[in-house]
Amino acid sequence: MTPEEEQAFLERKKAKRAGKRGFAEEGAVLGMTSLMDAITIIVTYLLKNYGSDPVVIAPTAGQKVPNSTADTPIQDGVPIYVTQRAITFMDRRVVQMDENGEVDPAALQGHLIGPLYDLLAEEADRAKKMAEGKGEEWEGRIILVGDQNLKFSVLVDVMYTAGRAEFREYAFCVVMKNQ
Amino acid sequence: MGRKKFEEEVVEANLLPVMNIMLLMIPALLLAMEIARMAAIAVSPPKFAATADSKEEDKKEKPLNLKVFIMEDGYRVSASGQQAGADAGKSADSNSPTIALAKPGTPLDDHDRYDYASLEAKAKEYKALFPHETVVTVSAENSIPMQSLLRTMDALRGTDCKLMGAMTANEEVPAECLFWQAIVEAGAG
Repeated sequence: MTPEEEQAFLERKKAKRAGKRGFAEEGAVLGMTSLMDAITIIVTYLLKNYGSDPVVIAPTAGQKVPNSTADTPIQDGVPIYVTQRAITFMDRRVVQMDENGEVDPAALQGHLIGPLYDLLAEEADRAKKMAEGKGEEWEGRIILVGDQNLKFSVLVDVMYTAGRAEFREYAFCVVMKNQ
Repeated sequence: MGRKKFEEEVVEANLLPVMNIMLLMIPALLLAMEIARMAAIAVSPPKFAATADSKEEDKKEKPLNLKVFIMEDGYRVSASGQQAGADAGKSADSNSPTIALAKPGTPLDDHDRYDYASLEAKAKEYKALFPHETVVTVSAENSIPMQSLLRTMDALRGTDCKLMGAMTANEEVPAECLFWQAIVEAGAG
């Protein structure tokens, strides 16, 4: 054993003995301030980003939103989620689709989708009253969040139904494609 | 008489609960945020078509009235009631599309089956003739998927068209934008 190794061994032995005698170990204090600063900045940034979107689009499970080269931002409106399985409005599954991805014929009167019309008309009344209360003009915008393989006939039915419920403006929600 | 000196005890704030909340907020906010960047394409219902046409009439300019019908076997393009590429003396030729498929024989869910480049070239031809026209009526057969419709609208708008400035900062619509006001119509073929 070299003198250095012997010295280290003695020190370890001393420390062990001191521990047995009940000496309190000196604890290290973790500096939290810098970590707090970093986390506060991240949370503020995320909150700002979250709050700046006028409408949050959350596609339903299995929905593949079509992509486009369009770059215009989404304006405030009421989203309708239309997939090949169902039409969802205000977190409610309004209409089921058949196996061909068409609107269930029982819910369809010509181009009008009955259950969707009822909810849209109700929402239009509510939104109009709110706009009146604020002294603003009601824009009546529908944001159609479709699916890549959604049939044109279904799209037309949904647009027709929204039009009958007094919604005047339509926008297709897309995923921005990088060129 | 000596005064007793009290030493102030420094109490450090317990930041651990705050840290826990902050750390929980980060994944929650990240989940709530959009992962993909979303955009919107404004479309007009057919009732606005008449308004757009009357404006053009006011200017004493013959309206283009560009219509694109997406069929399973290609595009039928017509302007001023005349289908492009129709037989002489006929306003429309229902047997053959104006622009055939780029990938014939492919299923409908293959969104590259249409010849978007040729459609854009056609739109540029019309834009050169009618530089003030911005409206196009797009229609499709019932089975056409939404992605094909949107890519058609992209081609008609022009792939280099950026409308962000015009929509948000009231800037002028860039010259690269062709027919950027789309009217979606049912059965307009």
